Amino acid sequence: MSLSENKSLAIQIPTSRDENWRYANLRPLAKARIDAIAPAPAPDRAASIPLPAVLPGYERWVFVDGHFARDLSTAASDSCASLRSVPDAGEALASMLDSDLASAGVDFALARQNGARGAAVLVIAPPDDGEARIELNFVTTAAGASGTSYPRVQVHGGRRSRLRIVERHLSIGATDPVVNAAFDVALRADSTIDHCRLQNCADGAACFDTLTAHVGERATYRLRSVTLGGLTSRSTIFVKLAGREARCEFACAAIANRLQTHDLFAEIDHVAPGTTTREIFRGIATERGKLGFNGKMIVRESAHGADSEQSLKSLLTGDGAEAAARPQLEIYTDKVSAKHGATTGKLDEQMLFYLLSRGLDRSQAQALLQWAFIEDTVSQIELAPLRHEIEQLIAAQLNELSALKDLVSHP
Amino acid sequence: MSPLLKITNLSAKVGGKNVLAGLSLEINAGEVHAIMGPNGSGKSTLSYVLAGKPGYEITGGSVEFQGRDLLSLAPEERARAGLFLGFQYPVEIPGVNNVYLLKAAVNAKLKAAGKPQVDAYEFLQLVRGKMKLMQMDESFLSRGVNEGFSGGEKKRNEILQMLVLEPTLAVLDETDSGLDIDALKVVARGVNTLKAADRGILLITHYQRLLDHIVPDFVHVLARGRIAKSGGKDLALELEKRGYDWVLEVA
Repeated sequence: MSLSENKSLAIQIPTSRDENWRYANLRPLAKARIDAIAPAPAPDRAASIPLPAVLPGYERWVFVDGHFARDLSTAASDSCASLRSVPDAGEALASMLDSDLASAGVDFALARQNGARGAAVLVIAPPDDGEARIELNFVTTAAGASGTSYPRVQVHGGRRSRLRIVERHLSIGATDPVVNAAFDVALRADSTIDHCRLQNCADGAACFDTLTAHVGERATYRLRSVTLGGLTSRSTIFVKLAGREARCEFACAAIANRLQTHDLFAEIDHVAPGTTTREIFRGIATERGKLGFNGKMIVRESAHGADSEQSLKSLLTGDGAEAAARPQLEIYTDKVSAKHGATTGKLDEQMLFYLLSRGLDRSQAQALLQWAFIEDTVSQIELAPLRHEIEQLIAAQLNELSALKDLVSHP
Repeated sequence: MSPLLKITNLSAKVGGKNVLAGLSLEINAGEVHAIMGPNGSGKSTLSYVLAGKPGYEITGGSVEFQGRDLLSLAPEERARAGLFLGFQYPVEIPGVNNVYLLKAAVNAKLKAAGKPQVDAYEFLQLVRGKMKLMQMDESFLSRGVNEGFSGGEKKRNEILQMLVLEPTLAVLDETDSGLDIDALKVVARGVNTLKAADRGILLITHYQRLLDHIVPDFVHVLARGRIAKSGGKDLALELEKRGYDWVLEVA
């Protein structure tokens, strides 16, 4: 891959010459202080951070500029989550994996390099047959010029464990923070994770994240991802369906307004027999927003009976908007079912006229159709208060909060 | 009293082709008019031109609706002014539910009239009453607009919207097509309840059978983009017997 060096430190970062990074806006990275961890905020500053109400039944962990905020957190006394030093966490993760997934292909793992300098990792490790509900809130307050936030999470799901994770990335204070998150998931046999992530950082934020998931036998990884905030964001996702009949369900929504660029790369690697993927992406680019979704599906020779479905759609409104939804298939066995579809288009004129003919304002009708377009993905968020929260943010992002308020689900 | 709708010498093009060629028609409040005509005579074009669908180029003539220049209004303004188009092929809009659309449409009209927004509870009661009339199950309310509806259900849904919106002029484009006789009666009953001294109805249809259930005051034959013949309700019966050719020959 093409790499360049950050001037302040010899860390290799990708460039847009790399096919897989073509749509990402990497300019903020070149200027960011990715060598420095953002300083911990003053305690009184952290205490005044407004957060949504704690989700019912969830324990809450809050990190401010990457630093654990004990006062804002409500971790259970018997919590399966704990803060660990990087080497410990690395060993724990390695013991969960039957391959070196954590390093394979993850070229942009800046977090790991910085971690060596003392930052901690949150390790969530429900034991065999364990259950847990955990809310993770990563809040930025500091400008990127003072350092980068490095949220790092590792999940080790024990056999038959059931884990629900809500991961929010939010901002207060500085409007131009830099975030580089790393999230590693390893699921043992028969375990299930519901993982909902929301990125709604400040208007000028640069948000990068790398997510790897290693899914064991008959385990299910459900990822729901909503990207709304920041000036530029890039998610790099590697999922390895390593165990027989492992399953991945991935629903992703992104809205790029104004000058926003959201780029997502998701590689799902079917290694074991009978593995299944259901992937859906819905993206809206308006004004001069740019969206990229690169969905790569690999089906190995060993993965006979694999079944993958992929539906990627993006919607453009406004002359300056750009979107690219690209499916990529690499299939090395005949015994496979693979369906994929990708479209990029404008609002349906017939639908628009129908709504206008009923007296709706043009802007309201457009927002309504955009809402309907993206609701495919958001409706998959089962947790009602979270869906309500996200739908409200989407309505606001579509600039039609009042028109769409009746469509937002009840908490 | 000036007519509700006054179309004078209206000509229009679609895709570079002249479809309406000097059409004139007047509809007064309280009247039901039916336009019949062979395929390709311009019936649907007329309905779309009245509703303001993009892609139709007006090449001549004028349309006045309650004394206003209808053609200068945007589609949504026409709707709020009291014009309703019942579509021949209502579009499916998954993700937008029916009751939301109904409420948004009513509120848009109220807002334009400077009136307060509808009360949610009262509105639901009103809609439920109309649904009963249209023999529609309440589950339709929470479904996506026309999503997965049968042809007959879509047409009933159009009439439901019309009943809730209470337009001054309803233009119903082949509302009877694809309906079995029972559904036709339900739809006709819905349309008949809208008849009033201050409203007009324009039915566009291929077949006389709709007019057994919604009796028109006037029947017009549209041919080659203009009204070729007008008469009373008996004209429809004559057309049913003799076809359109004799009208076209006379015209």
